[in-house]
Amino acid sequence: MMATRRAFLQTTLAAAAALPVTGWADVGAPTHLSAARTVQGEYALVGLRADGSQAFVLPLPSRGHAAAAHPTEPTAVAFARRPGTYAMVIDCASGQVAQQLAAPDGHHFYGHGTYSQNGRVLFTTENHIVSGQGRIGVWDAAAGYTRLGDFSSGGIGPHEMLRQPGADVLVIANGGIRTDPTHGRAKLNLESMRPNLTHMRPDGAILHVAELPADAHQNSIRHIAAFDDGRIAIAFQWQGDPFGAPSIAGVYLPDQGIRLLNMSEAMLRGLDGYAGSVAVLDQRHIAVTFPRGGVMHMFDTKTDSVLTLPQADICGVAPARGGGMATDGLGHVHAMTAGGVRLLARHDLAFDNHLIRIGGA
Amino acid sequence: MTRFFLALTVGVLTALPLTADTGKAVTEHILPRYADFAKQARALADVASKDCAVTEMLPAYTAAYDAWIAVSHIQFGPVESRGSAPALSYWPDPKNRTGKAIARLMAEDTSALTDPEEFKEVSIAAQGFPALERLLTEDHPDQGAACDLRRAIATFIGQTAGDLNGDWQSGYGAGFAQAEVPSYQTPEETRRALYTALSTSLAYLHDQRLGRPLGSFDKPYPTRAEARRSGRSLRHILLNLGALQDLTQVAFADVTTPALSSSFQEAIARAEALGDPSLAGVADPAKRFKIEVLQRAVRDVQELVAKQIAGALGIAAGFNALDGD
Repeated sequence: MMATRRAFLQTTLAAAAALPVTGWADVGAPTHLSAARTVQGEYALVGLRADGSQAFVLPLPSRGHAAAAHPTEPTAVAFARRPGTYAMVIDCASGQVAQQLAAPDGHHFYGHGTYSQNGRVLFTTENHIVSGQGRIGVWDAAAGYTRLGDFSSGGIGPHEMLRQPGADVLVIANGGIRTDPTHGRAKLNLESMRPNLTHMRPDGAILHVAELPADAHQNSIRHIAAFDDGRIAIAFQWQGDPFGAPSIAGVYLPDQGIRLLNMSEAMLRGLDGYAGSVAVLDQRHIAVTFPRGGVMHMFDTKTDSVLTLPQADICGVAPARGGGMATDGLGHVHAMTAGGVRLLARHDLAFDNHLIRIGGA
Repeated sequence: MTRFFLALTVGVLTALPLTADTGKAVTEHILPRYADFAKQARALADVASKDCAVTEMLPAYTAAYDAWIAVSHIQFGPVESRGSAPALSYWPDPKNRTGKAIARLMAEDTSALTDPEEFKEVSIAAQGFPALERLLTEDHPDQGAACDLRRAIATFIGQTAGDLNGDWQSGYGAGFAQAEVPSYQTPEETRRALYTALSTSLAYLHDQRLGRPLGSFDKPYPTRAEARRSGRSLRHILLNLGALQDLTQVAFADVTTPALSSSFQEAIARAEALGDPSLAGVADPAKRFKIEVLQRAVRDVQELVAKQIAGALGIAAGFNALDGD
């Protein structure tokens, strides 16, 4: 088992190192990262510049999901799609793989993670497969990404996690859905699931747990994005009858808990109860993508008004200078500004679920 | 070398000039169906404005609902930007929002019943055909309010159909055929929109129109069949299949194989042979079997459409839409 994994690692690293990837410094600084599939059916991590052009394409050993950008250094971690067991630390200056992380035996990654404020520690959302309990893996980024240990995520099925801006407070979307890789991606506890949004210290001490009302317990909290003032934007995935879905976009308010955003019956029809990704664009606007509905809604949290972009297979979304950026499975890169949405670029790639902004870009 | 050749091949596949079929789909499939819907919906509104009695309205309701189901698979363009589809046919409705919205309107919001502008703002669950069906098939204690609501819905349907038809006839149709409309700016994108209309509607037919009432063998749900109150469940399936067969022949003639054509014929023959207008047979083991066979036949169509049309045209299934993560 060990030998196999080591061999896999060596092969992967060797393969990655042998590919002619231009360093980021040489090709202009990318502002965003996304996992993607190429026309040849291979998987890659792609760096995008502010104008939507490609800064680099780095091969991944299997389908990626999301990435985490280091807060200060030009380093990013690309995560495998669940139930993946690899994550790659990428040196953004050289475009090379600096480290390969393997989930410990009995764990798999859920595909998201975040760094501590000083960037010395990396946290990853994981499944302890036998117990089904959500875990947060802790890695010493300053010491070659050695595993320091793990602690409870505060729930089942932790998916996206982030760090509150300007603080060492971790916020974890515990989706509530139990899965076991031996049953594929089957959901094992939909009748009893109880998702939550957990705030914790970096040592795992839980500060606060926000839950949903009992009648909304099937609204899986999957993807989150932080405002600067403690509010957290939430994208849900409804696990009940999709035609009976409540709103699947919401905001956690520190003093009020989770509030669903107003989504009309007309907006909800056709979305299949499924939101793919969420971004806080500024302190007022959030963007939520609905890949199954082929639409993105930009909510103005002040006026409750909504701006809509119909776009097949849209999913990745992130803040960007002047507004936001979004990507879709057809290779488009879109820019969102106060004036609306426009197409920035079109690539021969299928962009995967998440678009990640590189720190401060 | 292999890589380079592959890239070339894929490039050629996705760059096939397919605008001609899109144009044909617009002129021979989409435009006539919207025109017919507008005509029948106009007639429904006219009848209701003269006499809202159930017996007067039923034939016009049938014709207008038929015309809508025959075009409802076209989910892009004006119907999408106007958000009309969920209002015209608010179904499935597991929370009985239509029943609740009707009760609320008749009890509290009566001014909306006689003001078409105000009626546009009421719950979409009460604006379209499913609500009208309730008011044509169920007894309501306040007959005056029920009459007003039937008229309001008929007026709304007439106006909506007219707007959609107007948009398509007055420029959107030509723009879509040329791939010169906001969301569809290349022939690949219009082709994909047509393909998505086909595949999405087939999935809806399989999962909702058939899957909802079928439930499971131990737990069938005959009361979940679409438009069962007016005995239209099977009719919708037939209209839907006929429309999708026509779209396939018109838009995808160059990649339609005999196997795909005969799979449509098979499904239609199965549906025609059912003789169960409201699909009540889902709860009867002897009849249920035939409905399951029909559902299986629809699945065969789905698989051939995915394999042959998407495959031949280089349309990848939704990368993110299918992901579930």
